Amino acid sequence: MSEQHPSLLARAVTRRRMLQGTALAGVAAFLAACGTAAQSVAPSVAPSAAPSEAASAAPSEAASPSPAASATPIPSPAAELNFANWPLYIDQDSSNPPKSPTLEGFTKKYGTKVNYRESISDNDIFFGTIRPALQAGQDTGWDLMVLTDWMAAKVIGLGWVETIDTANTPQFVANESDHLRNQPWDPNNNKRAPWQSGMTGLGFDTKVVGDQTSLAALWQADPRWKGKVWLLSEMRDTIGLTLLKLGKDPAAATNADCDVAIAEIKKTVDAGIVRSFLGNEYKEGLVKGDLVLGTAWSGDIIQVQLEKASLKFNIPSEGGMIWTDNMLIPKGAAHKYTAELMIDYVYDPEIAAQIAAYVQYVSPVKGAKEAIAKNADKTVAVLAANTLMFPDAATLARTHIFKPLSADEEKYFNDQFSTLQGN
Amino acid sequence: MTALLRRYRFIVPYLLLTPGLVWLAIFYVYPSIQMFISSFWSGSLERGFTFSLSNVHNYTDGLNHYQEQIVRSIFFAAAATVATFLISFPLAYTIAFRAGHYKNLLLFLVIAPFFTSFLLRVISWRTILGDDGLLLGPLKSAGLVGDDVRILATPVAVISGIAYNFLPFMTLPIYVSLEKIDKRLLEAGQDLYATPWSAFRKITLPLALPGIFAGTLLTFIPAMGDYVNAELLGQTPATKMIGNVVQSRFLVNNDYPTAAALSFILMAGILVAVAVYARLLGTEELMSSAG
Repeated sequence: MSEQHPSLLARAVTRRRMLQGTALAGVAAFLAACGTAAQSVAPSVAPSAAPSEAASAAPSEAASPSPAASATPIPSPAAELNFANWPLYIDQDSSNPPKSPTLEGFTKKYGTKVNYRESISDNDIFFGTIRPALQAGQDTGWDLMVLTDWMAAKVIGLGWVETIDTANTPQFVANESDHLRNQPWDPNNNKRAPWQSGMTGLGFDTKVVGDQTSLAALWQADPRWKGKVWLLSEMRDTIGLTLLKLGKDPAAATNADCDVAIAEIKKTVDAGIVRSFLGNEYKEGLVKGDLVLGTAWSGDIIQVQLEKASLKFNIPSEGGMIWTDNMLIPKGAAHKYTAELMIDYVYDPEIAAQIAAYVQYVSPVKGAKEAIAKNADKTVAVLAANTLMFPDAATLARTHIFKPLSADEEKYFNDQFSTLQGN
Repeated sequence: MTALLRRYRFIVPYLLLTPGLVWLAIFYVYPSIQMFISSFWSGSLERGFTFSLSNVHNYTDGLNHYQEQIVRSIFFAAAATVATFLISFPLAYTIAFRAGHYKNLLLFLVIAPFFTSFLLRVISWRTILGDDGLLLGPLKSAGLVGDDVRILATPVAVISGIAYNFLPFMTLPIYVSLEKIDKRLLEAGQDLYATPWSAFRKITLPLALPGIFAGTLLTFIPAMGDYVNAELLGQTPATKMIGNVVQSRFLVNNDYPTAAALSFILMAGILVAVAVYARLLGTEELMSSAG
């Protein structure tokens, strides 16, 4: 790793699962677990996140939670905003410690100090930390949080988010990509605002395996890649792609489908073709050559191409998965109005382009592509032509979403998938 | 004041124990009780958990379901302990008896790698053991091993990772007990026509036993619960240890009851193993002979 440029190294460890499987995560999870255990008896315990928050809530926003719009005077931005997001999921400049031009711009515009924390490395774990407060009807300490759609659907279903007052978010209303609108779990487009989307498909080293377009390759004992194949440890991605390979729709997955998919994956694991189930670490293996073919996230591959140009991402011929991470305002948030201002702000195409150019996932904002194309820096401007960052309709048609699972289904799927992985 | 102290002298040992006891109570006893309670839970994160003694099946279910990983953990930990011993004993022996002026330097070198973080050391082993890494790369290009041979993602990688990471915990106690050996005992043995081998067997080895005992425990116990090596060097379903199961039950599946039950099974298993081991080696006798 020593030959890598520091900034590349930093980028190579993007968000999902970054901490999972490390000792740090063990500690964090244990603390999280303790928090959950204590929730029913100790409502006075403030959630660990952003402790400075609740007490210093700016008086200017005291009125905004009231739904009676007519009686409420126009609120003004609060002094601070507590924003929880995933690691390396917003633009950063090269200063030390790095600053985010987007957040700096927000502070300049509204005078609000943004307490931006990379506190989310796993949907379930983060949810575990805010659940006690939400259940007790208290402020979680966060004004804005970013959760993947299945988790967002769950939290919305539980009634634990504030409704976005869309009068305050005209740019969100105008610029949200059409294909993200009208989700069954948010029919009015006012419970969540997409942050970024990404696709899951085939990632590989073209130098070793050539160009692979079919998921079937993951089941072939080809000497070029046997024992050097990985699958994502994210259940929905791996089971979803396996269902697509089997010609089934991941949006309608049943427990029986899960069994079939698990049996199918077991075949390639037992045959010694698949070596590991990995989160973000697959990128390291790809760069070093221990891994040459597997299931990958689009933005990741675009990022590591900087280190190894022979890497490639394909949406499989059988179809790929698409997922979206969403901004949500947790119920009881102290600075709801300011959170809405932030949502509106990042839906400004210029700002969205700034974020997209750095994180290289799929921006949910219309106009971001055009804004990127106009960038003076040519290496940034070419990103506008990248269909993995700005998928056209044909590309989107080949992607699938995973069914929002009920709690029982989710437990069943997770248990089966864990057993498959040997834990 | 002194009069007061003299009068309540019996309190002093308790006062001295207080910091340690408070520490243990807050960071060990309390979490353990919490964990014990949660091992009798049923339910889910969304709906909340409920306590019931009838959930004792969490323990039997855990044992049945994860037998393979438990057995594998015992095997990996034992193999790593043996490997550590085989490396540590000659090393400690050399440092204690033959190092001369270099004793402190050599001891420092044993510990030196541990100035960097545990995680970084494991990750750097990933580079060393990589399919075309420092170790296999040259062997492969020399044609000594086949192209499809790998060490990463095999039990060998996990066991050697554990062995490496616990090396000082074995080396240092053995060194301490060897260092304390009175050289005159060995000279006396030689005077009585003992061969070097029988002097080693009858004098050095028995006197080193307390160190070996401490070293094996310090290696075996944490190795049993280790999950980082299996996670980062193993990375395959066939190398998962019980620590990985606990981790994934806690983190991925939010199955706190099973995770807690498995933790207690692990704890109980280690206690039993250590008790048997102590019985076999007869520690008390050893400790007194060492003192």
